[in-house]
Amino acid sequence: MAEIRAEEQTLAISKTFLIKPKLKPKARTLPQTPESKYWSSFKSTQIPNLISSISSLSFSPSPPHPFAAAYSASVSLFSPLSLSDGDVSPSSTISSFSDVVSSISFRSDGLLLAASDLSGLVQVFDVKSRTPLRRLRSHTRPVRFVKYPVLDKLHLLSGGDDAVVKFWDVAGESVVLDLMGHKDYVRCGDCSPVSPDLFVTGSYDHTVKVWDVRVEDSRSVLEVNHGKPVEDVIYLPSGGLIATAGGNSVKIWDLIGGGRMVHSMESHNKTVTSICVGRIRKENCGDESMEDRILSVGLDGYMKVFDYGNMKVTHSMRFPAPLMSVGFSPDCRTRVIGTSNGIIFAGRRKGKENVESGGGGNVLGFESISEPERRGLRPTYFRYFHRGQSEKPVEGDYLVMRNKKVKLAEHDKLLKKFRHKDALVSVLNKKNRENVVAVMEELVTRKKLLKCVSNLDADELGLLLTFLSKNATMPRYSSLLMGLTEKVIEMRAEDIRSSDPLKGHIRNLKRSIEEELRIQHSLQEIQGIISPLLRIAGRR
Amino acid sequence: MMMRGGRSLVSSPPAFSNDASKLLVCTSNTVSVFSTATGFQITSLEGHTALVTSVLVVPPSSPAAKVLCYCWTASLDGTIRYWDFSVPELLKTIEIRVPIFSMVIPSFLDVPAEDKGKHEDLFAYVFIKDTKETQDKSKALRRQIRKCNLSKSCLVGRLILGETKKLEVLTVSPSGKFFGICNKFKLHIWKVPDQGSEHAAVRKITLHHTKKITVITFHPTQRIIAAGDVTGRILTWRGFGNRAFAGSNGIENQKLINVQEDKPGVRDNDDADSCSTWHWHSAEVNVLSFSSDGTYLYSGGKEGVLVVWQLDTGKKKFLPRIGSPLLYFIDSPDPTLSSISCADNQIHLLKMPSMGILKTISGIKAPCCYPVKYEGWGNGIAFDQTAGLVALRTENYCIQFYSLFDDRGISEVQVCERNHQPGDDVTVIVTAVALSIDGSLMSTSEVKLAEEGIGGLVCLKFWQARSQNKEFSLSTIVYEPHRDAGISAVTFHPSCNMVVSSSFGGDFKVWRCNSDISQNDQMRQNFSWTCHAVGSYKKKPMTAAVFSADGSVLAVAAETLITLWNPYKNVLLAVLGETLTPIVNLSFIGKSDNVVAASCGSNPQLSVWSMSKLSLSWSYKLRIEAVASALDLSSFAALALLPESSNETPFKGRDGVILLYNATDPVPTAIWSVRKAKGGALGFLQVNPSSVEEISIDGQGKQYGYASIYGELPELDKKRPETPWVPSFPSERPWETIFSGSSHNLPPLTKLCSAFLESLLEKRAAAVE
Repeated sequence: MAEIRAEEQTLAISKTFLIKPKLKPKARTLPQTPESKYWSSFKSTQIPNLISSISSLSFSPSPPHPFAAAYSASVSLFSPLSLSDGDVSPSSTISSFSDVVSSISFRSDGLLLAASDLSGLVQVFDVKSRTPLRRLRSHTRPVRFVKYPVLDKLHLLSGGDDAVVKFWDVAGESVVLDLMGHKDYVRCGDCSPVSPDLFVTGSYDHTVKVWDVRVEDSRSVLEVNHGKPVEDVIYLPSGGLIATAGGNSVKIWDLIGGGRMVHSMESHNKTVTSICVGRIRKENCGDESMEDRILSVGLDGYMKVFDYGNMKVTHSMRFPAPLMSVGFSPDCRTRVIGTSNGIIFAGRRKGKENVESGGGGNVLGFESISEPERRGLRPTYFRYFHRGQSEKPVEGDYLVMRNKKVKLAEHDKLLKKFRHKDALVSVLNKKNRENVVAVMEELVTRKKLLKCVSNLDADELGLLLTFLSKNATMPRYSSLLMGLTEKVIEMRAEDIRSSDPLKGHIRNLKRSIEEELRIQHSLQEIQGIISPLLRIAGRR
Repeated sequence: MMMRGGRSLVSSPPAFSNDASKLLVCTSNTVSVFSTATGFQITSLEGHTALVTSVLVVPPSSPAAKVLCYCWTASLDGTIRYWDFSVPELLKTIEIRVPIFSMVIPSFLDVPAEDKGKHEDLFAYVFIKDTKETQDKSKALRRQIRKCNLSKSCLVGRLILGETKKLEVLTVSPSGKFFGICNKFKLHIWKVPDQGSEHAAVRKITLHHTKKITVITFHPTQRIIAAGDVTGRILTWRGFGNRAFAGSNGIENQKLINVQEDKPGVRDNDDADSCSTWHWHSAEVNVLSFSSDGTYLYSGGKEGVLVVWQLDTGKKKFLPRIGSPLLYFIDSPDPTLSSISCADNQIHLLKMPSMGILKTISGIKAPCCYPVKYEGWGNGIAFDQTAGLVALRTENYCIQFYSLFDDRGISEVQVCERNHQPGDDVTVIVTAVALSIDGSLMSTSEVKLAEEGIGGLVCLKFWQARSQNKEFSLSTIVYEPHRDAGISAVTFHPSCNMVVSSSFGGDFKVWRCNSDISQNDQMRQNFSWTCHAVGSYKKKPMTAAVFSADGSVLAVAAETLITLWNPYKNVLLAVLGETLTPIVNLSFIGKSDNVVAASCGSNPQLSVWSMSKLSLSWSYKLRIEAVASALDLSSFAALALLPESSNETPFKGRDGVILLYNATDPVPTAIWSVRKAKGGALGFLQVNPSSVEEISIDGQGKQYGYASIYGELPELDKKRPETPWVPSFPSERPWETIFSGSSHNLPPLTKLCSAFLESLLEKRAAAVE
């Protein structure tokens, strides 16, 4: 050990500095946080050409989590697997609707899909065969939302413009409960993830009501006032909190605490149209855990990610159209956003995060076949002599680091050998203008640049002139390159005159200089206009 | 009380102790003993009154005697001294009375065993300058090689082995049988007589070459001598002196055979078997040394590359980029350890077979030679007042932090990432360095000189210290902070993170720092500096800038005027004026409301201005090199150069004085005189009382009775050589008219323009409502 220490102490004075381009100014914005990195890792694909706005998006709870999108008078099913291959056509489409579809919801096993439309009809489809199994007609006005309870396969919840919330028995196509209490259109609702009996609905009368089917006189258990027409309401996964969206704010309420408002997030500029729960993998001190976020989309075209643990907006994303609906798949791999102009922005992450399929693989009873036993290495094998080379260090091992090898670019090697002209030519051939300028600066400090220029032959001079004509007027480099251009033309006038291709380069150069001069002139004119304004502004 | 420091470690070759645990280094009048394990100084041998030129450790006569620590030293004061450097104690002094430039003691390399009882006489060969008036007028300067009997402590009478015109260093062979010297194109080798009388004849041969020989070395076992010349060639003579030295072996007839032999490469009728030449070095060879077993030859020179030659095959290995010309290479008794002395006052201890650097003993680095135009620029030296450090610019684009109390280099910061290239003119110059009060932040500026008017660049860099030991990391680079104008001064605000840089281009900029704590590492702060305000006064070149002690006032010298600003709001408060010539140095005087300005030029002046009255209090006509004031004291010090004419008796060889003034009183309270004041700097250091006492014990020289709690250390420049001035051409910039401008990240012009106009118009509309 002592010897290793001694080895480590030897310092390398023999440093080699590479020729580096000048640093660029850094953006003022903070570097990406891990969270925003996560959210931007969803590789976005557009599903275009759907008619009208996407009113609702719903993910199937069963893997591989296909999602359904409701637009106009049809519902399309998309497979997330084909999305990652770039295929954006729907896997199947249900179009047996007489009016615009307003809301859709998968049953908890993913086999049935409920859809409501503006004619007041709620239909239940078999997802595979796409046939309507049940037609629930009782609403007198357009139905705005339909929802399958999370823990209940037999009932259905719907609400509409008649301000009535209905609790259906699906098999019998009959209404179990008519829940009255809202004074305006019921627009949204959600069922509790922890209890089959509890659900919330939100309405344009600014209130969100909590219902319990066990309560006898069909009155709401709890009521909170959002303050704006409620566009969307969801239960957060704990079941104790709900989030409501309305106006340009998203509010979080504590139901167990008696309907207390926990926080109000007001970072959207226009009406928030839809919210859903997203999940992110967090690594805290080594152990991984999933944390929940609220994804909200609004008419301002922004999707915001809200961390309701820290009450902070952690990410925001801009889309080029007003957004109508948002969905997040239970396996955390797909995020879809529907716009008002018939485009779905579907984002899909790489990786295999099977959050839900915990131990689901052995349902069929097959034991996984054990891998064939690895044969021991014997000296007759070639691999025997390479054994242990790919061994990873265990924690606690003392690591003797090998010095990092400095990679030298070709121009660096040539500069090291003091072959200045060759270095310049080699870097000019590489087409990386930052490096070219860096090499030129290095040559200036060695006082060899002009000598290099005088030694260039005709082809190499052409190369240099091409570079100069392209870059001489760039503000970042002009202080060096304009002077150099002048010198080059001065020094190599004879050669340029005698060669036609070089004359062409000079013409290009002239053109770019003239253009730059024009720009400068117009800038000066603008300055002339501005300076009196500035003076007046300064006097105030 | 005065403390001296910053001696040259490389004036003469160092020597290892017998167990290789100590390194003896000649440091001007003393010999410093360093530990090779830690690189710190252990002790020093004090007694010589002039430069020590040679130190020789007595080798052990038996393995048990390895722990003995005796050495001989020779000095220009004409004495040879014998020391026990473990204690340390002076054992013996021999008066030669002539300056000794070099000394070798060949005989103790083959001393007989101790148990013979009787000590043989010990002979040394010394290279001296004979200062005595000689009867021979033709030889005005006699540089002689003499023999000296150390046991009887006298020169062996009238025995002059040789004379040269120039000073050369004696080299002895490891076997102790030969010693030699190079003299222009010739090489003189003497054979040491066997044990014997004082007047035993010393045989000598001469080898010739066509170039000037710079260094020679002997092979440890064979009769091989290697020599390096000014053109970078290395010559190796094998079997030298077979003819001339054979006589002692009593084989006379071999001589005849040798004459007829073919001697490849040997010039004229020189006495050697063969001579071969290697050529890799492009310039003068300074270092030449055989490895202890004789299989390798180490060479080095101006390139700063140590080359290892395999003697039989001529194959080479390199230790490149040492960064400075090499001066000496010393092998230690421990085969795994050796040392290289570099011209930049550093001694590197090498771990031998791998040639890695174990430790570095760093002395103060000499300032680099700047072109005249940049000679007087800005504050090239900065003081860290709390830690007692000084930051100096060095030749290889570094800032060296040198501890004044410990008298050793602490660390180096590579300001500009360039490789050392020998022989180049200086093209990149670090012009200014400034440290914050607590020493955790640094700002440097550098200038890249243009080649015939193209490619010049000024850079301002901000650094932050990562830990206590002054490891700085770069936080911000600003290219062309003041267009293409050079930076005249950089200064830190005393309390908050604010820097002012003033330029000759007629403006100054206030830089502020946005610190954001990075998320992944809570402990580290990231500083990013941005321009906070720009100010100018009548487009006059700003030549100096300084903050007041509480940071509420910023004084910027606009050529001959002093402008006072509020640094937070960037408002001009007052203008003081005016001096006769441009002000180069400006300083607030601690608690008092006075500001002191030093101007140079044809009419130099030291003036003190009262801020309360906005008028001149008093002034002197003095050429001032540096001004410093303590933060919470009402006095200041100035380093003044003495006029040439007054170089008379009171100041012997001293060309500068340090004057300590009270702000209100034009009569200096204290005066010290110093040598080599040109290019010097001054700084007040904060010292607590306990360490003041410590210094007074260590300190040598005169006691000044300075009984304040503030020790003052105005040294630094004692050992600095005068820097040669390199002329340079002022850069002309013909394209400056239209394309200049630091528009790094402008958006496209069309976008920029419309957006700007729009914003302006909107603003007005709002105002109308």
